[in-house]
This record gives sequence, structure tokens and C-alpha cells, in this order.
Amino acid sequence: MLGQSTSDIEMKERLIANVKKEVKQIMEESVTKKFVHEDSSTVVSLCGAVEACLSQGLRRRALGLFKTSSTTALLHKISNQCDEAAYVSKKIHEIEATDPSKRSSSSSDSIIKPPILTKKGSSSSVGGTSSTNASGVVNSTPTIKYLWIRIALYEKKLARIIDHLVTNANRYYDKDALVADPDYGSILSSLLVGPCALEYTRAKTNDHFWTDPTANDLVQRHIIPSQSTPQATRRPMLNIKRIHTSSTDDSGISTYKSSSPASTAKDYVESLHQNSRATLLYGKNNVLVHPKDVAEPMPGYLSLHQSIASLTIKWTPNQLMNGYNEQSLPSSAGSIVSASDVDKSFYWAYVMNINVDDIVYVHCHQNRSSEETSGTIILVGHDGVQRPPIHFPEGGHMAQFLSCLETGLLPNGQLDPPIWSHKGIGRIFPWPAKSRRRIGGLPSLLENNDEMPIDYVFRVVNKSNPEEFLATHSIMEIGRTSPYRRHLSSCSTNESSDCSSKSISLDLVENTSGQQQQQHQTNQVTSIALVCTTMKRQIISRAFYGWLAYCRHLSTVRTHLSGLVHGRITPDIGADNGLTKERWRELHDENGVVSQESEVYRLVYYGTVSHEIRKEVWPYLLGHYTFGMTPSERKELDENTRHYYETTMSEWLAVEAIVRQLDKEKTAHAVAKLSSGGSASDSKVKSNGVDVDVEMENEVFEENGFSDLSDPEVEDEKTAKHENAMEIYEAEQKDETLTAPPVGPNLELKSSPSNSSYETVGTDFVDYVDKENFPMSPKLTNLTAVIVTDASIDMTNLPQSDSNSIAFDEINGTRDNLETVNEELSPNSLDALQEPKSSCVSPASSNGGIYSSEMLENFGLNLHRIEKDVQRCDRNFWYFANDNLDKLRNVITTYVYEHLDIGYMQGMCDLLAPLLVIFDDESLSYGCFCRLMERMIENFPNGGAMDMHFANMRSLIQILDSEMYDLMHAHGDYTHFYFCYRWFLLDFKRELLYADVFAVWECIWSAKHVSSGHFVLFLALALLENYRDIILSNSMDFTDIIKFFNEMAERHNVSQILKTARNLVLQLQTLIENK
Amino acid sequence: MATRKKVLLKVIILGDSSVGKTSLMNQYVNKRFSNQYKATIGADFLTKEVVVDDRVVTMQIWDTAGQERFQSLGVAFYRGADCCVLVFDTTAPNTFKNLDSWRDEFLIQASPRNPEHFPFVVLGNKVDLENRAVSTKRAQQWCQSKNDIPYFETSAKEGINVDIAFQTIAKNALAQESDEGIDSAFSPSLTLGSSSDSNNRPNSSDCSC
Repeated sequence: MLGQSTSDIEMKERLIANVKKEVKQIMEESVTKKFVHEDSSTVVSLCGAVEACLSQGLRRRALGLFKTSSTTALLHKISNQCDEAAYVSKKIHEIEATDPSKRSSSSSDSIIKPPILTKKGSSSSVGGTSSTNASGVVNSTPTIKYLWIRIALYEKKLARIIDHLVTNANRYYDKDALVADPDYGSILSSLLVGPCALEYTRAKTNDHFWTDPTANDLVQRHIIPSQSTPQATRRPMLNIKRIHTSSTDDSGISTYKSSSPASTAKDYVESLHQNSRATLLYGKNNVLVHPKDVAEPMPGYLSLHQSIASLTIKWTPNQLMNGYNEQSLPSSAGSIVSASDVDKSFYWAYVMNINVDDIVYVHCHQNRSSEETSGTIILVGHDGVQRPPIHFPEGGHMAQFLSCLETGLLPNGQLDPPIWSHKGIGRIFPWPAKSRRRIGGLPSLLENNDEMPIDYVFRVVNKSNPEEFLATHSIMEIGRTSPYRRHLSSCSTNESSDCSSKSISLDLVENTSGQQQQQHQTNQVTSIALVCTTMKRQIISRAFYGWLAYCRHLSTVRTHLSGLVHGRITPDIGADNGLTKERWRELHDENGVVSQESEVYRLVYYGTVSHEIRKEVWPYLLGHYTFGMTPSERKELDENTRHYYETTMSEWLAVEAIVRQLDKEKTAHAVAKLSSGGSASDSKVKSNGVDVDVEMENEVFEENGFSDLSDPEVEDEKTAKHENAMEIYEAEQKDETLTAPPVGPNLELKSSPSNSSYETVGTDFVDYVDKENFPMSPKLTNLTAVIVTDASIDMTNLPQSDSNSIAFDEINGTRDNLETVNEELSPNSLDALQEPKSSCVSPASSNGGIYSSEMLENFGLNLHRIEKDVQRCDRNFWYFANDNLDKLRNVITTYVYEHLDIGYMQGMCDLLAPLLVIFDDESLSYGCFCRLMERMIENFPNGGAMDMHFANMRSLIQILDSEMYDLMHAHGDYTHFYFCYRWFLLDFKRELLYADVFAVWECIWSAKHVSSGHFVLFLALALLENYRDIILSNSMDFTDIIKFFNEMAERHNVSQILKTARNLVLQLQTLIENK
Repeated sequence: MATRKKVLLKVIILGDSSVGKTSLMNQYVNKRFSNQYKATIGADFLTKEVVVDDRVVTMQIWDTAGQERFQSLGVAFYRGADCCVLVFDTTAPNTFKNLDSWRDEFLIQASPRNPEHFPFVVLGNKVDLENRAVSTKRAQQWCQSKNDIPYFETSAKEGINVDIAFQTIAKNALAQESDEGIDSAFSPSLTLGSSSDSNNRPNSSDCSC
């Protein structure tokens, strides 16, 4: 190969980028899933990416490796020079020795491997294809591919091995190979350091009986049963799907879908065991099931699980039972391992997962010819569809299964007729062919009168409503003496009772029994009269109670819930695209006035706002602007808001300065006390002369996160400038009655770059170096300990504008710079800021205020709280990663300063952050935030809205989804809905990604004018409904549901949820409307 | 298999806001630290399987909101706790001062059967920072005065003492749980708690420098 062509470099870039991507993914997985499973698809794709890098430019011929494309041989080759390689090599030998089947594919020469990998010459295309092909193939043989890379990764030795390869690259690689490249080689090895530090688990170790499944697992498991209808055409689809999703999709759920079948199989097999939610009532292996499209019955594991909500019959083919450990397909002994892997996935189609509630009849066919013990059971569902027959082997297993089933049905259901009611002896099975029982009412559907197979049919009675059940049965008891009556009466009940409707068919069969007919002809006349009266009564009472219940239900709905939605239903015609830029422009009249209020709300409610016009629309939606305002009015409002905001800000900045100074005093005392106590570790602090008598217990302002010890060097020049400003400020402070310490000549000002002060969370506050530099006279301590931070830059300037609005406007021009100033401290902008210094007036005196100590204390406390939360507000979102935290802090503090009686509460930052992201303007954000908080403040602990939300949720879910309500009630009763707390407090802000938060918030705001002022409730309901089946099938309790939703945060399908929420509103609206 | 009863230990972490509750939990369960944790709203929990005295138990560690206003929500989460972890920030004396009220609040809301002997563990977090403001001695004194609560000085950031602290938490929680069955078996659990406590003391004072 010639030199470094551009395509070569491109290819290397691609290879490395691929590794980078996979490393990122695996690191993310380790964070989100708390651990990385060894069989995780991300591991496989990472290994694939590494393999691609390693095999590029490998000198196979020279190394005698030309027979193979794999790097496994390379590993063995270097094992005598590299300890790590030797270790891994040994491990692989061990594994291959215990399981020879893995040998063939441990080197990637397996048949399915993409052919490009083998050809050295065409290696330029490796990078492009490996990401899709390799991982796609890998997904079918997850445990085997790239064995050595996997082992090295698990053993945390991969990075070292690669390192070795890179340093000795000239021995193994072509000159232009990626590994031999000085840059790429070291990048590759350093990339892998991270994944090598992770913990990889096989989840099912001896110590793990079972673990709580993650939310993703639950979502995934939910998908498996829904695929259980056997369809031959589906098989290839599944594989293709996996291949596509595995490496291309990286959104949460879809990545999960692509996770290897082996781990899914493992989860499924684990779910067959007894666990905390389901009791295993029955389990039998090698039970044959004969699926429709399969020639022969397949052996599998039959089990019966009882959870609180349901009784489930499961059957799993043997191929899947040992699926996740080893492949033990009897038929594939001679075939290729990977092929059997591919085959395995379609066994999922045969898995049976039957909820007994869905079953009406159990047909039993006993085979008398063979020792009377083997038998077949066919389950028939409500829909009349027969499930594949289940063949029990000999040994009375069918009888056992039936009795277990009957036990499982109790107390809320039973088999009818009961198996063990026969003569009270119980469980006599099989019955003689001409048993009285059969005469007494157990019909044979197949009507086989000969003695060979004996068939029985059991009806599964499930009394969802115990009263109805009893009622039916009392009628049936009477019916025993009079079949006509029984027939009629059961007919009369069928309209309301599920179980009685089932009984009709039985009754009809029974009535054909000649023996019984003879019996009741004796008292026919009386019975007919009796039947008529009973029937009448039944019909009337049922009708009445039905009507009554309906009325009650409606009255509940009306009284409790009619306030939740608007009576008038707004149509969604033409609102699919929401409020687009074009539509928004159209809605402006020639004067720039938007007056079609309801149309805007309607469009936003049904289709949200286009991102580029959010900044313009939101102030309307939040009520900051009112519709019909002219542009000049809006501008005036903005000006006023800004003026108000800045005035308020200057006020609190002045107070903040005082608070800080008080802080420093106390800090000094605290440090002094600590050091005099001898427990302070820092010897630099001199306690001489510092007053240590102050009682530490009274200190409030000790925690200070504003300055940064870790970055003490500030350029002298800049410091000096700050000093100037500070001196003036201090001079003014001196005049104040509250703090009047003599100004020391050696006033020191420390400033620290804002970004670094935010990087550490509430850390450093005392600058020991400073202390050392100054004489520690008790009085001067007050001043020398003052550390002014970024906020003080604003402070020195903003107060001036308070009395001089012209000066303020000048500063306004540089306001935006201020944020960057804090970070960069560029001399230019500092100079600009220094200009209006001459017109400086004491901020406190301008206000004429002396602040009460309670007020100072209160504000100081809030400042600290705000600071703590601002520092950790959405730092992983780009907008707040480094900059803009000061804006957040300023707006929040201004709001809190205005509402000191309420104070700062956790969550306010979260509510402000999206506004700030959209507006990127402090005063506008402030104005809108105030409007937002008018509603939201009630959700906080001092308001009553949260309890109201919970109560409304309770009513809503009772009416709209009583099954879910029953589940919540039954499982430790979490109908207090505390798991929705964060949802309501923050308007779902923490549950969703930023882009989705915007959309959801718009909907909430506009819903108030379109459909419901309580749209959040319907969003919450929609979230629950969206995962309804998962919640119900897993019988989630309080902790499960908290865990589930915490893990699902930022993974919801928001458009779906919004749609569901709007539909729920509509549902309730129609329910109320239909009076 | 799976016939053995699963032991679930519920552990509640309490303490002022931003003392490092979430970080401690994550450091222990996931072995990693991030400075990007958000302020906890509501509650979250993580589970971890641990081996205590050759028994495999599952620890369910509940992380709560730190601002005292949100305590009213606590009762739903505190119920059935087996151990309560009180966390303070060694650089912020106030957070230490508030331990008293956190402890009282917990005892009121959780109302454990035997409040006098309910297992608490105190963690002084952020010892990696230099601006220490609560001395080891002061913290130990407080712990001793409250029925000899085990005390650890931890750093969630550096992972200092986190494992050993939670091992003790698990141990004491397990002792508490087995107590629930047999009330007379209480005294051994006390020695268990205090012995591990004294074992770990030298450890904890070592790293306070």
C-alpha cells in the first residue's frame, strides 16, 4: 500500500469514530442501567468495532495468520510478550476446552461474517460496513463472537493489550495500519480505558436469586408475549429487525429492543421462576405442546403462576429454557452453532402465555388405553379459539395440573364443576366412565360414549364480582330442582354477569338430559309460575340496580370531575401542524397585533409551537403579553419589566453584599474556632487574635459556595481593578449603620472565574492564603475575610444605575457581556464596566433602607439554597453546561427576593430553566416566570394544589380505569399518588427531554383555554395508560412504580402521550356531556 | 431454586440539601460520581445486592429531597425502613446541626417499633474538601450522645469509606430486621453495631486530614 492516501485516513477516522461511538454507548448504558450485562448488545458492538480496528492492516502473511481473518491468533501470538494477553489467551483456551462449539466462531471465520473483513486489499470499506454488518451478525451469536476481546474487556485487560499492540505495532502491522499510526493507535487504546474500568455482570450469579427488572426490561418483556402468535412469516422479520436496530438506533427504547436475544431469553426464563410477585403453583418439564403449524408436538416447560392480579399458564419450548446458557438443540448436533442460534429466535413464537381469566373451558381428554394416566388439555378462550393442545406425560400429571389450577383459581374463581366435590372425597381422577357425576351434569362435548378416551369439560368460573357470583349460584341451586327455571333465571342474569352468561350454554346442554326431564315433569305447573315471578323480579331488580349504579357513577363524574374539563369541546380540525411560523405570521394583523386568541390556543393545544417562534409565542401563552397588544405596547411592557427587574435586582444585590459580609465574619469565627480547637487540618490558618467566643451554633451563613479555592490565581491587574470598585463599595458600606467596620488599607478582593466556581459543588469558601497575608486583628478580620465573587462584579455596577437610569442603559449594552465577563474577565469589558463608577451612589442609601436582621438572615438562607440548586440545574444540558447559570441565579433570586415570605423552594430552578433556554433573556424570563409561578406556586408544600391533584387523580382513575385503580389499591394502596409528585411539581419537566418539555408545557398552558385547566392530570393519566399493560401485568406496587417511572424519565414517547392525554380529556368531556 | 426468602432491607438517606445524599447512593451502588446530579425532587431509590454474614440481602436505598419543606411527603417513603442514614456536609456546620431535627423527624414519621434502638448511621460527607468546618470529634460526640450511632467520614466523590459505611448500614439494618421477628435477640445486634463502629473509627479519623 502506498503512503497515507486520503481515503486511508478517512477510513481510519471512521474506524476510530465507530469505536468512539460504541464506547460512548457502553458508558451511557453503564450509567443508565447501573451495570452492563455481559451479553449486552453494546458490548458486542464495541467488540466488533475494536476487532475492525485491529484487523485493519494486520500483517497476516508475515505473522502466519493468513488463514484467518480473526485477531484471535494475534492474541495468542503476543501472549508470550504481554502478560495481559497471556492471561486472556489462557482463559480462551479454557473456555474452548470446556466447550468446543465455541472454537469455530471464536475466530471470526464463521460463515456469516462479512466477506470484506477477510480481504486485506479492500480494507478501506471495513469501517463503513462493520458497524452494521458486524453487530447485526453478532446479535445472532451474541455469546460467542469476538471471544477474546470480550474476555479481555471483562477482565479489564483490553486497554493494556491494545497498548502493547500499539507500542509494538511495527512487528504486527503494516506501516499505514491504524494501530501503527502514532495518533490513532494511542487514541484507540486510551478510548478503551473507560470500558475496561466498568463492571460487567452476568446478572444471574449464585448470589442472585433474582433481581428487579429495569423499566426497559419491563417494556421489552411486554413486547415478547405480544409476539406469541405463531406466524411463519415473522421469523425472518425478527432477525432483520434486530440487525437494523442494533447499531443504528440509539434512542432509549429502540436500543433496548435490539439487545441480544440471549439476555431476553434469560429474563424470560427467570420470570418463570418463583419470584416476589408470582407464586409458582405448578411446574412440569417435557410437557408436549402441539402448535398449529408444527409437524410434531414440542417438549417444553409448563408452569402455572399465581400473582395477585392473575393466574397465568405458561409454556416455554425446551429450546428456550436452556437458551441463554448453552445451545443444546438435539437436532443441531451436527449443524453450525450460529445457525441454530438464528433458528432459536422463532421459538419465541410458540411460547404460550395464557391468562386463566381469558379461558372459559378446559377440555380434558384422557387416554385410557395407556395406563389411564396420560392426557391432553385444550384451553378454550372467551373468543372460542382453542389454544394448542397440551399433552401431559403419564403419571397423573394432568390431574395434578388440574388440581393446581383449581387451587390457583380460589378464592375468586373455581372450576365448574369442582374437581374435588365429587362425593366429598376429592380429587378422584380419572372418573369411571359411567360415574354419577357425569350424569349429574358433566357433559361431554365430544359425546364419546365408548370407554376409550374419556373427556371432560370444565368451565372456569371467575367471579369478578362476588355478589353476582353468589346470586347466580343461589339461582342455580334452585334451578337444580327445576331446570326450566334455572335456564330462564340464568338467562335473566346474563346481561350483567359475565359468569352467568357462560352458564347458559351449560344449562342448555343440561336440559337435554333425558333423566332430568323426567324428574321435573312432576311439578311443571308450579315451577313455571315460580319461574315467571322470579324472572320478573330479577329483571326488574337488575335493571333498577344497573340504572342506579349508572346514575351514581354519572353524578360522581359530574360533581367531582366536571370542574376539571371545559364543557365545550373544541374541534381539532386543521391543527395537526400546530402553530407554524407561517401561521403565526398570518395571525398578525397589519399593525402586528395578534388578536385571534382562541385560534392560537387551539393550534398550540393540538399541535404545539414551531421551535423558532417559541420566543415570540410563549409570552402570550403565559399571559405576559395579552392578545391584542400592539408592538409598541409590548415593547413598553418589556421595558417596564426590565426596569422593574433590574431595580429589584440591584436591591437584592445590595442586600446580598451585606449578607456576604456577615457571612465572612461568621466564617472567620468558624475557622478560628475550628483551628483553635485543633481539629482543623490547615496549618495556614492563624487563630491568634481572632475572636473565638462567638457561638458556632448560631451561625447560619457558613456554607458558602461562591469563591473557589481551587483556582486562587487571579491576575494582579484584574484584581486591582476589582479592588478599586470594591473600595468604593466598601466606603459606602462604611456609612451604613449596619456594618461599619473601618476600611483597612489592605482591602483585598478575590475574584474567581464563574465557571470554575460552579464546577465544584458548593465547595470552598475560605481563602487561607489571603488570611496569611494579612494581620489578623479582630476588627480587620471582618474585612480581610471578605471574598467577593462574580456576583460582585454586577454588584459594583448595578447599584449605580439604580439612581441613574441613563448609566444603566449604558450598562445594558454590556449586560450580555457580563456573563462572559465573569468567565473571562477580559480587560476590555471590565473597563467598560468601570466607566460609570463616578456616579456611584450607595445602593443601600438609595433605598434608604436598613435591613432587619431577620430579613438578612432569611435572604441569606435563601441565597445559599438558590446557589446550591443553580449549580446543579441541568448541567448536562448544553445551555447550562458552562454558561448561563448566573442568569438562572439572578432571575430566581429576584423572584425569591420579591417573595421572601415563601422563599426559595427546590424545583423553582427546574421551572425557570426551560423559559431561560427559550428566551435567553433575564427580564423576559423573569416576567414569564412570575406568570408561570402564579399557578405553580400552589403545588409547592405551602400550597394546597398538590393534594388536590392527588385527589383528582384518584377520582379520575377510578372512573376512567377502575382496573388500574384496583391494582393500586390492592398493592399496598398507593392511591395517594405520591409517585406523581415530581410530575405535578415541575409540570413533567424532569420526566421529559428539553424538546419535549417545551411541547408539553405549551399544551398545558393552552389547554387551560381550550379544554381543561387541569391538563396535567390528564398527562399523568396518559403516562399511566401508556404503560398500563406493563403496570398491570407486573402487578406493580408503590416501589415498583416509582422505580419504573424514575427509570423511564426522559424516554417517553411524548407525541403519543400528548395524544392520549387529549383523548382522555375528550373522553371525560363526552361523558359529562351525555347527560 | 428460589425457595429462599428474599431479604429486603429498606434504607432511608436523610440530610440537608446538597450534602451528597444522591452522590453517596450512586457512589455505593454504581461506583461512580458525577457533579451533574440534579436536586432530588420527590424520592428515588436504588437497589443493591449485598452479602451480610453470608446472607445475600437486597438493599433498597431511598434517596430523598433535602429541603425541609418537603418532609411532609416523607411518611410515605419512610414507612417500613430498616435503617436510617443521616448525612451532613463536613464543610457546612448547619447541615450537621440539623441532624437532630432529621433524626427526630424520621422517628416521628416512620414511628419504628423500638425508636430507642432504631439503627441510624451518620455519614460526614465531602471530607475530600479542604475547608472542613465540623470536626471529627464534634461529630463523634453527637453520635455517642445518641445511643452510640456509628459514624463514618466519607467522600462520595473519591469513594472514601462509602463501601464500609454501607456495609455497616446493611449489617445494622439486617439486625434490625431479624429483631422484628424475635424481640429478645436485640442485644447481640447492638454489639454488632457498635463493634463495627469501633472497628471503623480509626479508619474514619485517618482520612480526616
